[in-house]
Amino acid sequence: MSEKAPLGYQLNTTIGKSKLTLMKLFIDPILVLSILALLIFGLFVLYSASGQSTSMLQKQALYVVFGLVMMFFISRLDQTVYKSFLMHLFWIGLILLLWVLIFPAEGYKADRWIDLGFINFQPSEVLRLLLPLAAASYLTRGHRKLALKDWLITLSAIFLCSFLIYKQPDLGTALIVLASGCIPVLLAGFPLIILLVFLILIGATSPFIWANLSPYMQQRVITLFNPESDLLGAGWNISQSKTAIGSGGISGKGYLNGTQSQLDFVPEGHSDFIFSVIGEEFGFLGIFLLFLIYCLLLFRVFSIAFNSSTEFSRLAATSIGFIFLLYILINVSMTVGTLPVVGVPLPLISQGGTAIVIHLVAFGFVLSMKKRQTW
Amino acid sequence: MSEILNFGRENLAFKQLRKRSAFLFLLIALFGSITFFQIIKLTILDSNLYTTKSDENRIIRIPIYPSRGLIKLSNGEIVVENIVTQALTIVPNKTSDLELTLEELKQNLGLKDEELLTFKRKLSKTKYKYDSIVIVENLTKEQIARFSVEKEKWPSVSIKAQLMRFNLLGPIFSHVTGYVGLVSPEEIDESEDFSYPFTSQIGKTGVEKFYEGTLRGGEGFRTIEIDAYGKEVRELARFIPEKGKDIYLSLDKELQVLARNELAGRKGAVVALDPNTGLIKALVSSPDFSPNILNKTETGKVENILIDSQSPLFNRAISGNYPPASTLKPFIGLLGVKEKKINWTTTIEDQGFFQIDGKGRKYRGWKEDGHGTVNLSKSIIESSDVFFYHLATQLTVDSISNFLKQFGFGRKTGVDLSSETEGLLPDRKWKLGAIGESWFVGDTINISIGQGYISCSPLQLAVAVSSIATKGKVYRPRVVAKIEDQFTEKQVIYHLNQIEKSHWEKLENSMVSVISHWKGTAHNLTEFGQETIAGKTGTAQIKSLTDAELTVKEEYEDIRLEERNRDHALFVGYGPLPDPELTVVVIVENGESGSTVAAPIAQRLIDFYADRED
Repeated sequence: MSEKAPLGYQLNTTIGKSKLTLMKLFIDPILVLSILALLIFGLFVLYSASGQSTSMLQKQALYVVFGLVMMFFISRLDQTVYKSFLMHLFWIGLILLLWVLIFPAEGYKADRWIDLGFINFQPSEVLRLLLPLAAASYLTRGHRKLALKDWLITLSAIFLCSFLIYKQPDLGTALIVLASGCIPVLLAGFPLIILLVFLILIGATSPFIWANLSPYMQQRVITLFNPESDLLGAGWNISQSKTAIGSGGISGKGYLNGTQSQLDFVPEGHSDFIFSVIGEEFGFLGIFLLFLIYCLLLFRVFSIAFNSSTEFSRLAATSIGFIFLLYILINVSMTVGTLPVVGVPLPLISQGGTAIVIHLVAFGFVLSMKKRQTW
Repeated sequence: MSEILNFGRENLAFKQLRKRSAFLFLLIALFGSITFFQIIKLTILDSNLYTTKSDENRIIRIPIYPSRGLIKLSNGEIVVENIVTQALTIVPNKTSDLELTLEELKQNLGLKDEELLTFKRKLSKTKYKYDSIVIVENLTKEQIARFSVEKEKWPSVSIKAQLMRFNLLGPIFSHVTGYVGLVSPEEIDESEDFSYPFTSQIGKTGVEKFYEGTLRGGEGFRTIEIDAYGKEVRELARFIPEKGKDIYLSLDKELQVLARNELAGRKGAVVALDPNTGLIKALVSSPDFSPNILNKTETGKVENILIDSQSPLFNRAISGNYPPASTLKPFIGLLGVKEKKINWTTTIEDQGFFQIDGKGRKYRGWKEDGHGTVNLSKSIIESSDVFFYHLATQLTVDSISNFLKQFGFGRKTGVDLSSETEGLLPDRKWKLGAIGESWFVGDTINISIGQGYISCSPLQLAVAVSSIATKGKVYRPRVVAKIEDQFTEKQVIYHLNQIEKSHWEKLENSMVSVISHWKGTAHNLTEFGQETIAGKTGTAQIKSLTDAELTVKEEYEDIRLEERNRDHALFVGYGPLPDPELTVVVIVENGESGSTVAAPIAQRLIDFYADRED
């Protein structure tokens, strides 16, 4: 259905015409501006959260720039260019995961990293995006009604990846990847009866799953329900994070003035718990503003998705929107103590190059799926 | 056709996508609202609670302890000061292998086995294994150097400078100043206005204990901000501690040294005080001890002091219970004339013994043949027992008890030193309760010569005798003359104003004659004595001599073979007359003779004191 001009032509036309330049350059100015706002805000917060470390800030900024460039280029692509190719990216993801398991990088606690010398990244982070895109691509490949076989193949691939990540061992990310993969499946119309049976099955086997969890994961789940029980151990994170957010009050303690963050009481304040720093230094109003920008962003993503031209792009963009929303919810929830600490960064804000780049790449795809006006 | 079919299917898929999206969104929104409410709860509803929590996280109070006040003499000479010593300390829970660390330290620093043993004993008692505990105090320069070279080997071990107590005069004032020691858990619990760190020292005896609150000062604190690792970030506030106050003793160093030399290490006690003020000028309990060993500023074994059979830590001058023996006679005599049972001219025949109603058990005097015709004055001068046996039968125990109480017998003098004894002033009720027997006339007879159940400390005796010197005014004895620049006040504790002045004068004359009269029991003092003093000798019997079947001498010689059964020698006195400046009480345990052993010490002290004053 889509018959757009090839990439080179598009770039030429954009530069060549003066009218609607911003529109054409950004494709969706509101979405791009809200992304930029979040990124800049994120860098400011990171500077505070890292104990005013400029080196961490520089590194993060570098990733941001790299991610933005990636986003820009991908947004220029036509979905026909990558649609069928995305399906096969799954194999690359699988190889990366196996690589990590077989050749663990040295110097990291869990074997989650691939070290290429000049750059290192976490394959599991890449899988978070790769898997739903591949699933969306696979499920919409044939323009026909999906058979049971299609569901099974997709689910098998998703479970395989999750299992490999769980083996790293990283239960949190494994669950996130599982959820990310299942979202397009669910949205594509996975039969609810099977889902119901599946849920019952999980319920029945949960004691067995529990027994197979590593003690550190068990501890994490236990402390969720009663974090104050072990103040010096696992409950420390949650308790300190809650204290930070709570002590911020309505208007916060002010930028660089959060005692919990600046004195290192908030653990991992620059990565998983960066939301605590926002809460402490900018208060409820800061949190509210952040949520507002997130909402704006998501509104644009879903809007693009539902107005997109192909079945694939609708499914893929919606999935990306939901995954982004899920990340925000999980990160914020674990920071305020309504979910266990699973190690999900706050999208576009938390320190972590791989995650930032991946999110920007995802938004690049979303932008590229926007139904263009004729120009 | 297929185009249309496909279009239909795609439409259906889009419809489903929107339906599923709506459902998923609802699910997420549902959970999101829980989280959102939690955020509102944290930042708005419970914000105060978390603000407090975050402040408690970062703000801590560190107490500041002032250095301990010094103990000085009235002329400003320092007796006890603080010195800086280096102690080797360890945090037990920071070591991976405590035994190994100790062994290495022993090898490198040349620690002694017994030092390590003491440490281990201390370690087993302590609950606070995260705090540093002293392994050994007073490191030598060599040990410090050796430790510094290899200290990286023992991250749990460090050298800490600490202020320790050092008594410059060693044992001379040991029973007055007392010593300090590690605060005990009980002492920490009992202290209300001061929180002792468990490594701190506290006064254990003497002035160090009695004036603990004055010497240690008040607690100050610093409020600091710390980071998550407990490292200080900045100081928020500081409350300067109240400095420990310096204490000035009333004691006279030269007099003290003289008294100590006179006792020459024999068990006993000397108390010398100014009867007009209650200020104690000398307080010797012999044997004494080196307070610095207990203060841990001098090497030496604490155990040796503790197990010494001579009990050097026991302050005989204020805690020792001795029968006052014949030194009590002036008081009993005074009671006799006050109660008008006798007057100064009443005489009796002293044939060496006394029988109630002229029959039954014989109460013997110390002189076998007796003193012949004696009145009160003569019976004080020659120390006739029989005269007082007679007098005792006319008095009741309760009247004796009530009268002696006015002189301070049977109750604490209130001296500013810890662990003072009350002594024992018996009466009917006491005997029934303590012994389970009723009171016999024989008990009264024993009391009249200061034997039997009655006992008192040398200090009590000095306070009582001072009342004769002052004609009835008794001041609270004290060893501290000045705190910082505030003089301690003299305080009348008893005022005996019902006794006629003539009685006091006659009593004093009799006591002067104890020395000056050729038959006086302390007439030997005239051989060297320079100042006129009033006094009374006493010989406290350890073994009862009431068995009528044996002659006094036979039994005596038997018992005397063993030193610990020998009599205590006592002397009480004051001088120089007519304006007494010093009351002296001397007790020499197992010294046998009050006149030849105890009395000369008192005479020399008064002579020295009066001479030097002029």
